[in-house]
Amino acid sequence: MVNVMKGVLVECDPAMKQFLLHLDETLALGRKFILQDLDDTHLFISPDIVETLQARVDDLMDQLSIPVHDKGL
Amino acid sequence: MAPPKKYKKYDNKSGNDRSGKKKKVEEEVTIDLVEDDNVDNVGVPVAAMQDAEKNDQVPEDEFGAKDYRSQMALKADNASRPLWVAPNGHIFLEAFSPVYKHAHDFLIAIAEPVCRPQHIHEYKLTAYSLYAAVSVGLQTSDIIEYLQRLSKCAVPAGIIEFIQLCTLSYGKVKLVLKHNRYLVESKHVEVLQKLLKDPVIQQCRLRRDGDDELLTSALPNKPLATTSKPGEEKPAANGTVPDDISQFYQQLDKDDEEDENTDIAVNTAVAFEVDPDKIEVIQKRCIELEHPLLAEYDFRNDAINPDINIDLKPTAILRPYQEKSLRKMFGNGRARSGVIVLPCGAGKSLVGVTAVCTVRKRALVLCNSGVSVEQWKQQFKCWSTADDSMICSTLKSFIIQTTLETEDKHNNLCQKNSEFKNTKMKFKNKKKSYFTEMKRCRNSYYYINKIMNKCGLVIEKVHISRMYTRLASLVTIGLTATLLREDDKIADLNFLIGPKLYEANWLELQANGFIARVQCAEVWCPMTPEFYREYLIQKINKKMLLYVMNPSKFRACQFLIRYHEKRGDKTIVFSDNVFALRHYAVKMKKPYIYGPTSQSERIQILQNFKFNHKVNTIFVSKVADTSFDLPEANVLIQISSHGGSRRQEAQRLGRILRAKKGALAEEYNAFFYTLVSQDTLEMAYSRKRQRFLVNQGYSYKVITELKGMDQEPDLFYGTREEQGMLLQQVLAASETECEEEREAGGVPGGGGVWRRGGALSSLAGADDALYLEHRRNNQQNKHPLFKKFRY
Repeated sequence: MVNVMKGVLVECDPAMKQFLLHLDETLALGRKFILQDLDDTHLFISPDIVETLQARVDDLMDQLSIPVHDKGL
Repeated sequence: MAPPKKYKKYDNKSGNDRSGKKKKVEEEVTIDLVEDDNVDNVGVPVAAMQDAEKNDQVPEDEFGAKDYRSQMALKADNASRPLWVAPNGHIFLEAFSPVYKHAHDFLIAIAEPVCRPQHIHEYKLTAYSLYAAVSVGLQTSDIIEYLQRLSKCAVPAGIIEFIQLCTLSYGKVKLVLKHNRYLVESKHVEVLQKLLKDPVIQQCRLRRDGDDELLTSALPNKPLATTSKPGEEKPAANGTVPDDISQFYQQLDKDDEEDENTDIAVNTAVAFEVDPDKIEVIQKRCIELEHPLLAEYDFRNDAINPDINIDLKPTAILRPYQEKSLRKMFGNGRARSGVIVLPCGAGKSLVGVTAVCTVRKRALVLCNSGVSVEQWKQQFKCWSTADDSMICSTLKSFIIQTTLETEDKHNNLCQKNSEFKNTKMKFKNKKKSYFTEMKRCRNSYYYINKIMNKCGLVIEKVHISRMYTRLASLVTIGLTATLLREDDKIADLNFLIGPKLYEANWLELQANGFIARVQCAEVWCPMTPEFYREYLIQKINKKMLLYVMNPSKFRACQFLIRYHEKRGDKTIVFSDNVFALRHYAVKMKKPYIYGPTSQSERIQILQNFKFNHKVNTIFVSKVADTSFDLPEANVLIQISSHGGSRRQEAQRLGRILRAKKGALAEEYNAFFYTLVSQDTLEMAYSRKRQRFLVNQGYSYKVITELKGMDQEPDLFYGTREEQGMLLQQVLAASETECEEEREAGGVPGGGGVWRRGGALSSLAGADDALYLEHRRNNQQNKHPLFKKFRY
């Protein structure tokens, strides 16, 4: 019996993979989306979540960077 | 901008409710509270509320730029002039211009430096900077004239108006300490009269009776005040004023003995005496009345405070910038209060020592830690003829129980000692301990006040606290490297201490070899998966511990230490987090200093670090942030830090800034690494922390990968098992550790700020930093170029 699943292969650094796993486990995006945990740097995820996920990762990055031309207080 | 209501309330209170004890307590409490939450508006004259920024109607484009082409027509010979003066008060200076030097000296006097990289410097005209300009003797007309000459374009009308508004009322009234009396002195009689009409100032006025000497000197003044004055001043004053004045004077005659006195020697300036206890009030009030007081101390005519026999040693040679700053301070033969800003390691202590030697009165040096007290003592012995018998240092006043003991000590020693050093009480804003703290402060406030009355000069590190600055000292100079706080309270200093007298340009000193040339680097350490996983789950306190204890960071740190030890460098490793500090140091078998480390042990470690070539690396907590003089150190590694505090970053950099012997000025001879765990909050903080130094012209190199780290044998935490064990330790320890930290070292903050701090380090005065996070909408303020791409 062969199961075919359509998905997206995500390559990322190990820390980011943990972030994705975290999102998956806490159902932060509303549901689980990781189809297969491949190795340290690769994940196989469902394709329909990609957009939301991108936005989410953008948010994370935004939190970590302050505006460059913000000239002090 | 109208002053807010809250402030007005305070104002009324101090105006009406002015009876004995109740008032005193009230005032103190009010001031303390006001300092806390209403600072922006205390001590800010209305003129200072004016912001040149507001004159500006030109909208920013999406890149944050403004189009001034229509407003700023260039002069024909613009190429030979170094300045652009923009309508929003910002001034841009070409650092490569041939007249740069003159322009620079002038600008530093009238404007605040905003950003000073290598080629173009940005300054900003603010009400305070103009106030400072007036206080060092510049005239309104001179400022405008010179600005016109230097500018490539005509100076915008709005700016001229702004300068006039800010300078005309400033600098007219001085608070002079002469013959041990506080006199409010002015050459402009009408200004003085205006002040005298104010009920608050009347309250503060000191009327002495039975003081014959004063009366006689005051007598010639009376006719001058009533008769000759209207004649002299009539052109300036309007017709109704003189009547009021004469009435006022007659009334004064009836009510009290005349205490008005004029010193004819000083250009017929008019003065009245004020109550020394109410200096604070009167200063505040005068600022509200648009006539900020410039404090001056006529130390040559001070017969009551005995001169002390102290001189600079001939070996002490002042560098040009030190001389310049002192010249501003002692400009007219009197000593001015004010703040001198010099980078760390540029010789602030020598400036302080020289100031003491110039004034030759008893001096009190306020420091914020025991070590720095020792260092000041050393400095005094090194640069001046003072010896042990003249210097008294007190270390214990920051503990309540010992306050009483030290008080006796103080009083006894005060008779014969010249310099007083005192560990300074910190003014913590932590809410829990706030009230006890305040009580404590008030105790020592009282005692120190006693001492202070006998001292001529106070030197202090201004960045720490604003508690003692309210004491009745004769003249105060503040020495600091970093005139900035995260909470915008820096403006307070303008009236607590005085205007900024001098600020040096870091890059210039660096180019001249007065301070070390530092390579700043930010090393990005990837979080290991396990740590990042925990990081995502844990609460903020443990998050912090997790990213500090990140094994990659540990390895990077170890690698850097080894690398620099091989080069023969001396390395200091900074960690705010005590748990991390201990762990790193113990694991790498290096000595470490933190709050609980005893004084003798500290000195022993520091001595070893200095002279023992086997001890090349030490670990320190934030007790060493400020005034830890380690001239040998030339590498600094920062593994954890206090949020986004720019001050801390600059202060830490200062630890390695002292010029290195035999080093070439062209080469980097000091290194400043910040280790940052990737994808964590630390990144954001790091960016924030760097802003101050970036504005001073420093550039940070980002290192994403340390070359050769993979080849380096036996670095710790290479394997998953080791990392797992470390993680367990962190998770287990963090509970107690975090609690401990919260107990003693918490730092106040709003919104999304955490508390952290070296638990017991607070005892050593390390918790002075006040860090507030100002949340703002990132999206709105984001440069379009960076909206999409991340760096």
